[in-house]
Amino acid sequence: MILAQTIVTYIYYIITAIIGITLLKKFFKREKRQGLVYDLVYAYCLVPFILRLLQIK
Amino acid sequence: MTYTVADVAIIAAAMVIAFVLSSKYLKSTEISMAASGVVGVAFAFAHGWTKEPIRLLVEGLFNNLDLAILFICASFFVNVYSESGALNAITRKLVKRFNSKWVLMTFMGVFMLIPGALTGAGSVSVFVLGALVTAIIRFMGVSDRKTAAFVFVFAILSAAAPPINLWTMLMTAQANMPYVGFELLLLIPILIVGAFTIIYVGWGAKRQSKEEILKVLPEANEKYDGAGGWVRILLPILTLLVLFILALVLPYDLPVLGLPLMFVLSTVVAILCNPGKAGLKDYYGMFEKTMEQVFPLVATVISVGVLQNSMAASGVKGLIGTAFVLLPFVWIYATVLLFAPFAQGSMSYGSAIVIGTPLIFMFNTAGLNTTVVCAALSLMFPIGDCLPPSRIVGRLTIEATGYQGTYTSFLKAVAAPCLLLGLLALIMLIYPNTFAFLA
Repeated sequence: MILAQTIVTYIYYIITAIIGITLLKKFFKREKRQGLVYDLVYAYCLVPFILRLLQIK
Repeated sequence: MTYTVADVAIIAAAMVIAFVLSSKYLKSTEISMAASGVVGVAFAFAHGWTKEPIRLLVEGLFNNLDLAILFICASFFVNVYSESGALNAITRKLVKRFNSKWVLMTFMGVFMLIPGALTGAGSVSVFVLGALVTAIIRFMGVSDRKTAAFVFVFAILSAAAPPINLWTMLMTAQANMPYVGFELLLLIPILIVGAFTIIYVGWGAKRQSKEEILKVLPEANEKYDGAGGWVRILLPILTLLVLFILALVLPYDLPVLGLPLMFVLSTVVAILCNPGKAGLKDYYGMFEKTMEQVFPLVATVISVGVLQNSMAASGVKGLIGTAFVLLPFVWIYATVLLFAPFAQGSMSYGSAIVIGTPLIFMFNTAGLNTTVVCAALSLMFPIGDCLPPSRIVGRLTIEATGYQGTYTSFLKAVAAPCLLLGLLALIMLIYPNTFAFLA
C-alpha cells in the first residue's frame, strides 16, 4: 500500500509538471487574454506549480 | 499584539476598496482578488500581526491548488471524451429512444445529481455532464438562458445531495457531531427543488421533432453502433463512477487516488475507447486548448486562496463570522439567506467553518435540533456558488453551456429555483424541531 501511495504521489508530480510547463509556455505565448495584467496573473499562478515541483511546498 | 474591531473593520474596508478599484482599472476579477489579498496582508504586516507577509501570500496560492488541478484534469477528460464523438453519439441514442420532453429532462436532472453527490463538488457534475445535458435540454426547445439555469441548479443540488455534502461534513466535524441522519433532510428539499426546476425550465418549451434534431446533430462514428458502441460510450464514464464508489466503499483497501487522478485514469480509458485516429501530438494540442479554456477558473481559485489567507491573517474572516453569529435570532433568520450564500461566494467551503459551526453551537444552546439546523445551512451555502467574487460553479456553467448573455441575466434565470431552495432551508432553520423526525 505504501508503494502504491508513493506511485500515486509521483504521478501527481508528473501531472503538476505537465500543467506547469504548459502554463509557462502560455505565459510567453498565448492566443487569448494578452496584456500585462494577464502576464501577472499567469506569473503568480505558476508559482505554486513550480514550488510543488521543487518540493519546497 | 493588540487590535480592536475598528482596526479590522478598516482593513476590511481597504480590501473592498482595493477589489473595486482593481476591478475597475485592471478589468480582471482574478487579479482584483489577489490585489485585495495583498492589501489585507500589507495592513496586517503594518499592524505587526504578522512578520512573514510574503509567506502568507505564497501559502494562500496553495490553498486551492488541488482544486485547480482537479479543474484542469476534469476539463481535459471532458474535452477528450467530447472530441472522440461519444457525447454526440449518446445524444443521438437518447433522442432516438425517448420521446417525452419531461422524461428526458428528468433523466438529465438525475444524471447531473450523481457525480456531485458522490464527490461533494457541483463543479464535477458540470464537467462530466454539462455539455451533454446542455445539448439535450436545448433540443427540448429550452432557451440558452434557462438551459444554463438547469445545469447550474442541478450542479449545486448535486453538491448538497447525500452521501457527500462537504458543508455538512465540515460543520459536523468541527461541532463534534456524527455525520448521521442527514439523508432525508437533504434529499427531500433537493427533490422538491429539482422537480420545480424541471417544470420551471421546461414549461412552454416546444420540443423539436426527432427527425429535426437528428438532422442537426453530426453523424456518429459507425463504431458507436451496437453493443460494442455502448461499451465505447459508457466505459470512460463508468470508470469514473466506479473509481468514485470504490474510494467511498473501500477507503482502506485502495491507495488514495484523489479526484484529479481519477479523471486522468478515465481520460486514458476515453483515449483507448476513441474510434478515431489521434496521436500524442493531437492530445497535447487538446490539453493546451483545455488550459486556455479553463485558465480563468484556475486563476480564480488560486486568487481566492490568497484572499482567504489574507482574510484569516488580518482578522476580517473572524470579524465577519463573529458579527453575524452575535446577532439576535430574528436578525439571523432575516439575513441568513443573504449572508450564507455571499460567505460561500467569498470563502468557498470556509463559509461552513466561519459561519456554520458557530451557528450550530448557538442553536444548540437554544435547545433546537442541530442536525436539522446543519442540514438547513448546508442547503443555503451552495446557492452562493454563483455569487462574486469566486462564482466558481456559475462561471463553469457559463463555459460548459456556452451561454452568451450577461452574467446578471444568468443570475436572474437561476433566481427562482435558488430562492425556493433558500426558502425551504429557511423554514427548516426556523422550525428545526418540526423536521426532527426526518433525521
